[in-house]
Amino acid sequence: MSLEAFTVSEPLTMGVELELQLLDTLDFDLTPRAQDLLRALDKHPGAWDVKPEITRSMIEIGTSIQREHAALRDELHDLCRQLSRGARKLNIAIGGGGTHAFQHWSEQQIYPTERFHYISELYGYLAKQFTVFGQHVHIGVPNGDDALWLLHALSRYVPHFIALSASSPFVQGVDTGFHSARLNSVFAFPLSGRAPFVLSWDEFGEYFQKMTSTGVVQSMKDFYWDIRPKPEFGTIELRVCDTPLTVDKAAALACYLQSLCRYLREERPFEPAEDDYLVYTYNRFQACRFGLDGEIVDPKTKQRQKLRDDIIRTLARVAEHALDLRSLDANNQIRDSLFDGNDARWLRALRQGGAPLPALVEAASARWMMK
Amino acid sequence: MPETGTPHILPQAPWFTWPDLHQLDPVLGLAAVMLIAVVAASALHRLFKLPRLAGYMLVGLFASPMGMGLLQPADLDGWKPIIDLAIAALVFELGSRLRPRWLIDNPWLAASCVLEGLLAALAVGAALVALGAPLLSAVLAAMVAASTSPVIAMATVHELRPRGQVGERLLMMCALNSMLAMLALKLWPLLSLAGQGTLANDALTWVASALFVVCGSFLLGLLCGWVLDRAARLSQQRASAPVLQIALVMLAATLASNLGLSPLLTLLVAGMTARALMGHRLTVEPYLGSAGAALTVLLFISLGVLFDFDGAREVWPWVLALVGARLLGKGLGVALLARPSGLGWRQALGLTLALQPMGSLAVLLVAHNFHWAEQLPGFDAGVMQALLVAGALMQLSGPLWLNLGLRRVAGECREEMPRVA
Repeated sequence: MSLEAFTVSEPLTMGVELELQLLDTLDFDLTPRAQDLLRALDKHPGAWDVKPEITRSMIEIGTSIQREHAALRDELHDLCRQLSRGARKLNIAIGGGGTHAFQHWSEQQIYPTERFHYISELYGYLAKQFTVFGQHVHIGVPNGDDALWLLHALSRYVPHFIALSASSPFVQGVDTGFHSARLNSVFAFPLSGRAPFVLSWDEFGEYFQKMTSTGVVQSMKDFYWDIRPKPEFGTIELRVCDTPLTVDKAAALACYLQSLCRYLREERPFEPAEDDYLVYTYNRFQACRFGLDGEIVDPKTKQRQKLRDDIIRTLARVAEHALDLRSLDANNQIRDSLFDGNDARWLRALRQGGAPLPALVEAASARWMMK
Repeated sequence: MPETGTPHILPQAPWFTWPDLHQLDPVLGLAAVMLIAVVAASALHRLFKLPRLAGYMLVGLFASPMGMGLLQPADLDGWKPIIDLAIAALVFELGSRLRPRWLIDNPWLAASCVLEGLLAALAVGAALVALGAPLLSAVLAAMVAASTSPVIAMATVHELRPRGQVGERLLMMCALNSMLAMLALKLWPLLSLAGQGTLANDALTWVASALFVVCGSFLLGLLCGWVLDRAARLSQQRASAPVLQIALVMLAATLASNLGLSPLLTLLVAGMTARALMGHRLTVEPYLGSAGAALTVLLFISLGVLFDFDGAREVWPWVLALVGARLLGKGLGVALLARPSGLGWRQALGLTLALQPMGSLAVLLVAHNFHWAEQLPGFDAGVMQALLVAGALMQLSGPLWLNLGLRRVAGECREEMPRVA
């Protein structure tokens, strides 16, 4: 099977996908009601999209193609309102967060579609353990070569997005000590991690053909990379973010990525290299484990610095681009969150204040549903 | 004894008779039956996939005068406070699971709750009248028949653990239609007076009495929920929570009963209030569920003993009409508003089936003994008998209806996973 052609798309357009938790309003455990909610939202008037995910306690929503922060935020607000109304009608709650604090993987049910059953058969219990919730951000690029260049250039900023969005400290009722424990679930998949270091679409096509000839992959969907090209959309897709607890944060993260991409494309501050990946896994771990307090290594200078400091410096570098993209508000929000702490910290503070886990999930859901 | 020509060498009495346990000690009899019930229900569940609750009721039925006569309904009178506690605990838990706000968030659901009860009552009433039942008795039977047994529903929900729309709507509809039935019974004297032409003199008294019951039960429920919250805060001991809950449930049921209020409404409101005030601090099921496990077995055996199939041969057309009309009415009520309220067709079918268990025990918690039928003077004996037989039939088969509706049709129950030794 050969790789499809890369669709041309307008540079720096963006789209956001959010995987969301469906919760029982009594005990705030996950509840398998995706089909009910999808039916209730069948004829929604928005331009956004809602679809099932691997287990029946999840749904995924996707915005339309957006260019700037205000419009993206408005669409996410509309989506949030309509989704919440539909959920309340069915006596369920919706929540963000990268993991559900106390659900048990064995109780999850695979959503009845051919692809999800295929994944379930292939990966066994890992499929049910994949009941984790992420934010994916698509950024438009004009061609495949540009997509691969940007994908690898972004690799050193991946820890930023992990630490900023981290909202999964609890797994199966236990505090993991991580800020983002979600990515540990993703790591269990054999085709996770990073994309191969190739910078042209033709070379990538050769790699893809070799992989399909081994029978290990059938389509681009089988790669669970942190950033992957999406040829049918003409985008690259950043997949490392936990679903934040609010849609405002989701919009801000997407716009920070957009301004960063513009900075990288227009200023070309460095050329990506294979050696950038020497510290990739270490930096990624630091971000997952310690969040904004993580310590990362610069792949070029080999210097160590706090993740928080690196984000502050990056925000300063991309400020001009954020201004041009009308997303300065978003970047300011990101800056504020560096001092307020990420969602994982907020959840831990609640827990340390004595809230039982169901109360914690309820509070997180109230934030997402804008109650 | 007349000479029958039977050879005298044959014994005059059977070589074995079942021991008349209730003559010895009703406690001993019931305890023995409980032991047998648990073992037999497990065996029936293993061999025929029969729900355990149905197994307990069958054992009760076999022990009753209709079966081997080990126990008489009168033997249960001494157990009534304990059986009342079992029912009250289930009703309190039902209340604690309801989120009244759902009816505002989904007005079609609220309409659907009223419609299914109303259409079931109309269908049953019309069917009974068509078969020649007196109008007033048919109306009362219809109102009682509109209810779904909260006891069977809650106990089966414990066993099946459904997670979905059908299970949640079942509990909401069950609570609402039981309240409707309770109100109908409270207003029965008013209806019977209407039949005698003396309505005008006493109408005001009866309306005031009904209002007193509704408002009083509501206020008492609020108070009990509040008291539980305060007591839990003061005790600050997690281990004491189930004790507090059991004490409160007994208090609420007894006070309501002694004040002439409705224990059903009181306990439902107490459960809702406690949930609203205590949130996740209220963990009803694990505590009352485990402490109440023995109570549940006792309750379902008692239901079996109390089943009344007397006169079934005479009233079977009425029983059939009642059961059939009820199924039709509830099905129509659910289906008409299924889509606007967010329910799929298959789920609507599942809900209709799950609503079929009919029961009167929780509605009549107020009675001093189990001979509740005697408390409704003027109620046509035939209609009463049909109602009792239909009630017994639909309670006995209740767990099967719920299993069919929630598990098979709606698919809301997780199949038990085989455990590796």
